[in-house]
Amino acid sequence: MKVRNIFTLFIALLSFSNAFAQDSTLTKDKTWYFPDYAKVQFAGNIGFFSVGFGYQFLSNHLYSELLYGYVPVSISKAEKIHTITIKNTFPTFTEKINEITLSPITGFTASFETGNNSFLKLPDKYPKGYYSTNAFHFTFFIGASVHKDFINSKIINGVDLYFELGTVDTYLWYGIISKEVMVNKIFSSAIGINLFF
Amino acid sequence: MTLLKINKIIAILGIIILFMACDKIFEFSPYDANVKEECKNTTAKNLQLIKDIQIDSDTFSFAFVTDNHYHYSNLRNVIDDINKKNDILFVIFGGDIADQALLKEYEIFYSIMKNLNKPYLTVIGNHDYNSNGEIVYKQMFGDYNYSFEFNHNKFVIFDDVVWESNKNPDFGWLSTQLTDNAFFKQVFVIAHIPPFTDQFDSDMEQTYKSLMQENNVSLSIHGHIHSYSFGKIYEDSVNYLTVPWLKKPTYCIVNVHNKSFNIELIEL
Repeated sequence: MKVRNIFTLFIALLSFSNAFAQDSTLTKDKTWYFPDYAKVQFAGNIGFFSVGFGYQFLSNHLYSELLYGYVPVSISKAEKIHTITIKNTFPTFTEKINEITLSPITGFTASFETGNNSFLKLPDKYPKGYYSTNAFHFTFFIGASVHKDFINSKIINGVDLYFELGTVDTYLWYGIISKEVMVNKIFSSAIGINLFF
Repeated sequence: MTLLKINKIIAILGIIILFMACDKIFEFSPYDANVKEECKNTTAKNLQLIKDIQIDSDTFSFAFVTDNHYHYSNLRNVIDDINKKNDILFVIFGGDIADQALLKEYEIFYSIMKNLNKPYLTVIGNHDYNSNGEIVYKQMFGDYNYSFEFNHNKFVIFDDVVWESNKNPDFGWLSTQLTDNAFFKQVFVIAHIPPFTDQFDSDMEQTYKSLMQENNVSLSIHGHIHSYSFGKIYEDSVNYLTVPWLKKPTYCIVNVHNKSFNIELIEL
């Protein structure tokens, strides 16, 4: 049910962009707040699936996105996990090979989650300072992205496919302070797609 | 140009190797509670190992290690030291296995404890209840309250976390477990939080103290306060032991001799 809702939202976002894009595809003359692309990601510590939209900044040296990630009960083995994430990706350089552009990427995310016994404000039962908030997590990643432009398409102007290896702030910290925590225990992968309007 | 290409190839190979070596290819959230099948039911497995220990003497030792949080290197040092001591027959871990109680923390703890060459049991600590830790603990270890017998001694493992667990300690269960104390040489109770500290109000403290006294408990063992203390806290015959956390590689050995015991504090 939830997954269907997410896909509905995603399709709605695409159609919405299409409605706007009809006249402006060629000139790219979009309203400033209109997103440059939509995104779907699998895994990466920000959800089983996450969906959202993003903007290109600093002459395409920064890709910033707002994402909603969801982990169903069947995967989490606990409550449903809803995560709101701001993700920033930096293509380190780009290399054009025929029709496609290849970029090594690096970046970080900042995630917010409450509901799985996590809290923003320390509940009153605890003495002041007993815990700090556990609702935020950061992830760091490296990877590669492949971009292809669709010159004649009216709906989607281009697509990115990307692959990442990433870890969570807490895991990385443990990896640094303890030789018992090996790098292969704290890194995992994510794959995703950006669809440009 | 060639150098740049070689660098790129090395970088790509590095990423591929790391990808292949990853423990889990995909991870979805730090709050996941999806415990791997091989890591489940650790308490039951270790209780069986303890049952299988053959002993023909009144004298034996067990180690008490507690409050790991994220001091994984010190945990490993302590485990290596315990492995060298043949008179220690099993280990009890006193809680705060994890700090934020993320599955990843539990998994790292589990993988380090795999190096121990004797059985171990755990009691849940207050930190272990954070996030989805309650679910992870249940899957990875088992019941929060349980007891076992060893060499005519009774060990009662008691979850006394109040705030993080959103429930009161099950003193009714504890009382039932202690009623048969006369059949044992000694009774040891293990709970993460000592009754004389923060999470216990005076009623709970009174209840705990009375249960220990009325049921002739020899020793009540705890972590939580991160420092060493040993002795009679109340005006009764019950000894209370608190064991330091693993910020430094420290632990305690309890040497049991027939109807008495003594404590060794080990600081590596």
